[in-house]
Amino acid sequence: MIPMREQLLRFVDELRGGGVRISVAETLDAMRAVAAAGFERGPLREALAASLIKDEADRPIFDRTYAQFFGRSRAAEPRTPDRRSGARAASGGSPQTGAGVAARPIPEPEPSFQKPARKPPAQKTAAQMGEHQELRAEREAESEGAQRAGGPDSQAAAGIEALREARLAAVERVGFEHYSEMDYETARDSLAILIRRFRLRLGRRLRMARRGRVDFRRTIRAAIQHGGALIDLRFRARRPRHVDLLILADISGSVRYAATLMLELVAGVHESFRRVRSFVFIDHLAEAGFEDGHLVMTPALDPYARSDFGRVLGELWERRDELLGPATLVIIMGDGRNNRRPARADLVADIAHRCRAVYWLNPETAARWGTGDSAINQYARHVTALIPAQTLGELERALVEVF
Amino acid sequence: MEITPENVSEGLRGADYVTNQRVETAIFLALALDKPLLIEGPAGSGKTEVAKVIAAMLHTELIRLQCYEGLDEARALYEWNYQKQLLRLQADEHQGLRWEELSEHLFSRDYLLERPLLRAILAPRKLVLLIDEVDKADEEFEAFLLELLSDFQVSIPELGTIRARERPAVVLTSNRARELSEALRRRCLHLFIDFPSLEQERRIIELKVPDLDARLAEQAARFVGALRKAGLKKTPSIAETLDWARALVRLGVRELDTPAVRSTLGLLLKHEDDRSKIEGKVGSLISHPHSR
Repeated sequence: MIPMREQLLRFVDELRGGGVRISVAETLDAMRAVAAAGFERGPLREALAASLIKDEADRPIFDRTYAQFFGRSRAAEPRTPDRRSGARAASGGSPQTGAGVAARPIPEPEPSFQKPARKPPAQKTAAQMGEHQELRAEREAESEGAQRAGGPDSQAAAGIEALREARLAAVERVGFEHYSEMDYETARDSLAILIRRFRLRLGRRLRMARRGRVDFRRTIRAAIQHGGALIDLRFRARRPRHVDLLILADISGSVRYAATLMLELVAGVHESFRRVRSFVFIDHLAEAGFEDGHLVMTPALDPYARSDFGRVLGELWERRDELLGPATLVIIMGDGRNNRRPARADLVADIAHRCRAVYWLNPETAARWGTGDSAINQYARHVTALIPAQTLGELERALVEVF
Repeated sequence: MEITPENVSEGLRGADYVTNQRVETAIFLALALDKPLLIEGPAGSGKTEVAKVIAAMLHTELIRLQCYEGLDEARALYEWNYQKQLLRLQADEHQGLRWEELSEHLFSRDYLLERPLLRAILAPRKLVLLIDEVDKADEEFEAFLLELLSDFQVSIPELGTIRARERPAVVLTSNRARELSEALRRRCLHLFIDFPSLEQERRIIELKVPDLDARLAEQAARFVGALRKAGLKKTPSIAETLDWARALVRLGVRELDTPAVRSTLGLLLKHEDDRSKIEGKVGSLISHPHSR
């Protein structure tokens, strides 16, 4: 029994190294679970999963680690590309620290269990548990399974929704600055899940805001419970808010992923607003819409132009009678890098004065704000709030706050 | 029933539940270790069904607490029946009862409205407690739930502390409307249930709608599987698949062709957008066994 316990502790340690949060109590649960479920094939794996993995997004890390640990020695094999997502999840919300994707931020207290020395412990595993015939068979099955999991038909194995969730969870934590075309596609694919969640959270927040007119009838009814004392105020359902949303998103090279994802996210909750107008810009203003999931802008923008937000602000200001009113909530998404052209922060001030609020979401790393050609600090003085939105997760939270 | 992996496996089969290793092990552990089981997964994948099946397997009762925003202890645990107490007071007015006697009456079990959680605690034998869509409840309620789940006892000031004679088997489900607290996750075993594979869904249809022709069942499962991949607003649930299969039986459909599917599409797709999106593509989504 002792080798197994040791084995489990190392397994948990490895999972923690991979970024999964596991408490001591959960480790104990895992031991009890294994003791109850036994060492047979499937049960061992699922017992460990049920007691250690509390978020489906962590399941790929679990499967990988499990295959390495209880599977046949796989040290000789080069690690497959799916290691990327593991490393990402592990590095959490700060992918820009350290060497980025390539580094696995595992603490170094036990050198023999680091990646280069993967083979010896795995062999030790085999020696210790050799008496369990079935485990051996399982190991083979598992390592095959793990190979498949990275392959093209992994969808069938994992289930389509689970896979989307897991992918979303991984990509949610990747900074927009580090996006590849593939990350963007993944994010787009999972957007339906995100929009659903966003809707629920937004609706929740709007309802939770305890304001509005007291519903006298329901308050009196509730008061009966308290001997007639009006201590439990009930409110009338709030009427749809009269808010016009105006989105301005920079789609020049550096921030285009963030901008398009935000536009889609907002399009998913348009019914929370009286009117939504979406604009994109590089050096001109263009109205944006979605047709069949593709961004359509009128007029078309030159993708090779250099950002000029000052001019865009001018164009917007000219159309102020049509677009900007006291009920307008303006959200600007961009890095405020203006290629040293006139920033026209005075126009932001004018817009803020005219509208309900102006929020600026910046997808750039906060440390770089105001460096080089960034005019963000000039703009920041006049907006209601400047909010960092470096990852999809942050973007969603920022929008929930702002709305 | 003694809790062994074999018994659980057999029990699930006995309850007509198509399952896999993952679900089986999780259910077995929840029962064997006496821990709450937290089930997540897309809507309509059969999360709630697990609790019903456990109850059927243990031949016991299922108590269900449906969570919603603003759910509080009064609705979940207990509440004094104020109206009844008031009536009693008025009825007793002229009898000149002493306060001690009166309060003894007023705060007895007769005037207590037992809500699902209290009923689960008071139950004389082991039962299954389903806390459905716990993500819809507020954070405060979740904290309260944590306390309750850890020792299954409740203090009612007027009655004293009541402790559960048999800890119920607890199943929680969540759709991730919000993230559950780490503390709750830590306390529970976790199970993610996805939509069934093609083969599983076919078996589910065959088990629950035995009148449907086997070939048709296969086609139906394939069609629903294809719908789930089509990126709809609301993906069809297993229950809807079964409703559809039953409808096919009642309509006497012999061959799953475009007109048959079109006329019954409303059973699977409940959004106008989804419907218009799929309606034109029905033909290409139906698989023809003989042409494959």
